[in-house]
Amino acid sequence: MKPRFLTGLLSLLMPAMVLAGEYDLTVDRVKIDTGDFVKEGIGYNGASPGPVMRFKEGENVRINVTNNLDEMTSIHWHGLILPFNQDGVPGISFPGIKPGETFTYEFPIQQAGTYWFHSHSGFQEPDGAYGAIVIEPEGREPFRYDREYVVQLTDKHPHSGDRIMRNLKMMPDYYNREQQTVGEFFSDASKNGLMNTIRDRMAWGDMRMMKADVEDLQGFTGLINGKGPEQNWTGLFEPGERIRLRFINSSATTYFDIRIPGLDMTVVQADGNNVQPVNVDEFRIGVAETYDVIVHPKDEQAYTIFAESMGRSGYARATLAPEKGMEAAVPQLREPARLTMADMGGMPGMDHGSMAGMDHGNMDMDSSEDMSGMDHSSMEGMDHSNMDSMDHSNMEGMDHGSMAMGKGGQSDPFYAKGSGLVPTAANGGKFLSYADLKAQDPLYEDREPTREIELRLTGNMERYIWSINGVKYEDADPIRLKYGERVRFKFVNETMMTHPMHLHGMWSILDVGADQWNPIKHTVSVQPGTTVYMETEVDAPGQWAFHCHLSYHAAAGMFRKVIVEGGPDSTQAKTDVIAEDGGEA
Amino acid sequence: MYDNYYEPESITVSPGETVRFMVENKGNLVHEFNIGTPEMHEGHQEEMMMMVEHGVIQGGKLNHDMMNMDMGNGHSMKHDDPNSVLLEPGQSKEVVWKFSDKGNIEFACNVPGHYQAGMYGKVNFE
Repeated sequence: MKPRFLTGLLSLLMPAMVLAGEYDLTVDRVKIDTGDFVKEGIGYNGASPGPVMRFKEGENVRINVTNNLDEMTSIHWHGLILPFNQDGVPGISFPGIKPGETFTYEFPIQQAGTYWFHSHSGFQEPDGAYGAIVIEPEGREPFRYDREYVVQLTDKHPHSGDRIMRNLKMMPDYYNREQQTVGEFFSDASKNGLMNTIRDRMAWGDMRMMKADVEDLQGFTGLINGKGPEQNWTGLFEPGERIRLRFINSSATTYFDIRIPGLDMTVVQADGNNVQPVNVDEFRIGVAETYDVIVHPKDEQAYTIFAESMGRSGYARATLAPEKGMEAAVPQLREPARLTMADMGGMPGMDHGSMAGMDHGNMDMDSSEDMSGMDHSSMEGMDHSNMDSMDHSNMEGMDHGSMAMGKGGQSDPFYAKGSGLVPTAANGGKFLSYADLKAQDPLYEDREPTREIELRLTGNMERYIWSINGVKYEDADPIRLKYGERVRFKFVNETMMTHPMHLHGMWSILDVGADQWNPIKHTVSVQPGTTVYMETEVDAPGQWAFHCHLSYHAAAGMFRKVIVEGGPDSTQAKTDVIAEDGGEA
Repeated sequence: MYDNYYEPESITVSPGETVRFMVENKGNLVHEFNIGTPEMHEGHQEEMMMMVEHGVIQGGKLNHDMMNMDMGNGHSMKHDDPNSVLLEPGQSKEVVWKFSDKGNIEFACNVPGHYQAGMYGKVNFE
């Protein structure tokens, strides 16, 4: 990138000196080589990932995007606060960019930190159309470092996004290699008793979920800055230097657990916003999230950046080293996590007709064991109103001991109690939780929300339908917000997958129980069987996308249009000019 | 002291010099000013972690009742060593310290994460 700065000329014309940078991006067909396979994909300026766009807070940017594809494209500036018609979502912000056309984005940069950009058209993003954004702040930062690197992750699959979506629609477990085997059934049976095992499996069958549905897309190669594990992207350092690593998860569907054996990491930013620093050994990065960490390697040796997928089906790997070519040991993948019954905490609201009719009587409950041992707190997210048809009398004798409530020991308030997904650090140390994230310098005053909107995250894995409140995007009315209000969103995850919910245009104030110190994010992960609250100061007029950032979930319907009504006259949204050709993920 | 850095970020002293530090917390979070070697700071960070876990340090507040509580064996979390002060936002205190010999000395904030984020300064000897 060679920004052409126009400050000289413009400062003569403007009353105040405003920095203005002009940037060019082309959208191109590119070749992507992961080390495991080579595929055709989409990139920017001839490569995937695209360039790191470096902006300065206070700058006005003009970005000329030329579409060299033979199909429509778009660029969404993920996490940037900007006028809605610059947000880059076809059908919501603008009509899109036609083949051969150059579209010029123009907006002021009003924030600092680590962000990213990607296509919001079809499956161009999983096909490679993404890049990083780094914004330098106006003032000094509340931390120090000697050098910095962007560490951008993705889950590159040999199949194109279109083909993956077709396969998932036809057979939702098409890419799920971790299904439990007959052999596992018998080993469970010998461990837990045959009846308990059968009961557990029957319950899972009735949920229309498979116990290994931590990830619905396996068979990928994890990339860091476009390099596969064997290609080993390497960042150099001098021992004793402090390095800022800007982690960005640009995956289509994969959560990564990241550690650097031998180095402590201090988390200083989440989703581009400064947080009170937290020392961790490992952290989980949701799809579309960013985390900035500072590391301080003192020794003349190489360190491995190891990013295991949440379902342990693959990994990305890179190296920090004093010299090119130095390497450190690459750890083995740990055992895959298994969802437990606790992760089904939200089950009643699921599109699982079978649940209501589930005949617990058939389970031949053999014990009179009461339910006191069962941890109902894990069911917080449960919508009891939907349970009317469920026969509670049958539950009295149910042996909840068979429910594999997790191994205990580890807990995280953002996972269901007893969840099989609760992460633990490989070295037994500290694993970052959302509960550790506190704003360094809160952007908004804390105040009572004006109203609450409940969004149940719903789906039917067997039919690969994903929805909100049981309705998919094409059948749903927009969510209408009023300019100036503060809305409390209640996410109730009634599915068994983790959903990274991304609201465009306005900050998501994640409720971690820290009141005025609650952090602001652009993407909020909601774990299975849990309820998560976030609040939004409705301060951006216009219309915005709001969706699960798992590419295939968004495309399957877990998506909403948000319309902000009212606002300052000058910025009053003129939204009726935009073609209604449907928002694409 | 600001969130989370010092101004200045280094000072120069002569061996044997006694220095009066006027320490003021101009940030919104609790901060410490502590004089010691990097190893001493590392050791102290564990105590400070305990203070956070016990709710003594809560973002921008100190829980003074908790600090004076007897933790058993005569221990408390008073944080009253002469080489350091722990301040709430807006507070200021003095630290008088004699730098006897040359050494690897830093002033540092050992509130969890702050040192690692870069809240320390170098003491240079003339």
